[in-house]
Amino acid sequence: MANFDLLTSFAIIAFAALTHAGFQLSISVLTLLSGHALGRKTAHLRLMRLTGGFIGGAAAMTILLLSFTSFVLLRLLPDSTPLLLWAACTGAVAGVGLSVWLFYWRHEQGTALWIPRAFANYLSGRSKATKNAAETFGLGLTSMTAELLFTFAPILVASLVLIRLSPAYQLLGILLYTAISLLPLLIVGLLIGGGHKLSDIQRWRETNKRFLQFAAGSGLLVLGAFVYVQQVMATAAAALGGR
Amino acid sequence: MALAIDVVKQTGRRPTEHFDPDKLLHSIRAACLSVRSPEGEAEDTAKTVTDAVIIWCTTRSAVTSHDIRRLAAAHLQRYQPEAAYLYQHHRNII
Repeated sequence: MANFDLLTSFAIIAFAALTHAGFQLSISVLTLLSGHALGRKTAHLRLMRLTGGFIGGAAAMTILLLSFTSFVLLRLLPDSTPLLLWAACTGAVAGVGLSVWLFYWRHEQGTALWIPRAFANYLSGRSKATKNAAETFGLGLTSMTAELLFTFAPILVASLVLIRLSPAYQLLGILLYTAISLLPLLIVGLLIGGGHKLSDIQRWRETNKRFLQFAAGSGLLVLGAFVYVQQVMATAAAALGGR
Repeated sequence: MALAIDVVKQTGRRPTEHFDPDKLLHSIRAACLSVRSPEGEAEDTAKTVTDAVIIWCTTRSAVTSHDIRRLAAAHLQRYQPEAAYLYQHHRNII
């Protein structure tokens, strides 16, 4: 089985993280959380602590999910990754990409997402009730976990690539993935900290939600196709050529 | 203080409750503050909008929570359009 070279490996990890960054649940929760905090006349420093706690929670869960997946895969596949697993993984990525196109945003006003309404109400209630950084950290962990149905695909691809790197590069890959996947949250956190109106942020999200949906779905399809060609087709072609 | 007007909740699953102008006032003030309106302005806007909703409600014996939200958003739109946007859409953010 041909492994990716270092540059290709990091490019795939970065691209997987970029598609992960397209998922919006954490941003929605952060927007609500900040809205409730501002509505309670929360001091600016405290608001920053709350948003910082939330982003920290989301970062911790991303690192945990990626590390856990990589650890399990490395234990199961210490030497090489079977072609069948690559094929199944790229199929899952393409399937998630199509699901994003079809189901990710609800067909109604606002930025309502695919998640069941009862759970959306629960997250909304928690974002209102949360008043300290430890709680927002927990909310960050929860909101990242809640989107696992979609985020498992880029995490799986990144993990499959990570396990064939040396330990130092694995660490670098995990940090790169986390940093890129959290970019939108960091940007929204900085905008809120910089005094921008939540209504402007929310309006931008609502106006561009179809583009974001298209970009996230297309990104996953491109990622799946690239990995399929690089791993499955290239290996199959090499095997045929070697006959 | 609650008025003798019944508010029918949105899904119909929760029991009706008396219309509480304070609750409305707090939610409108929170919406104004969340778009960084000055405190005094948020307070004035919340009072004005709440008064307008109370006047509308007093001619009815029962209203729905959706009616109250729609009417409050329409009045809020005149004074603070940004706050009205968040007030109207806050259930559709997630």
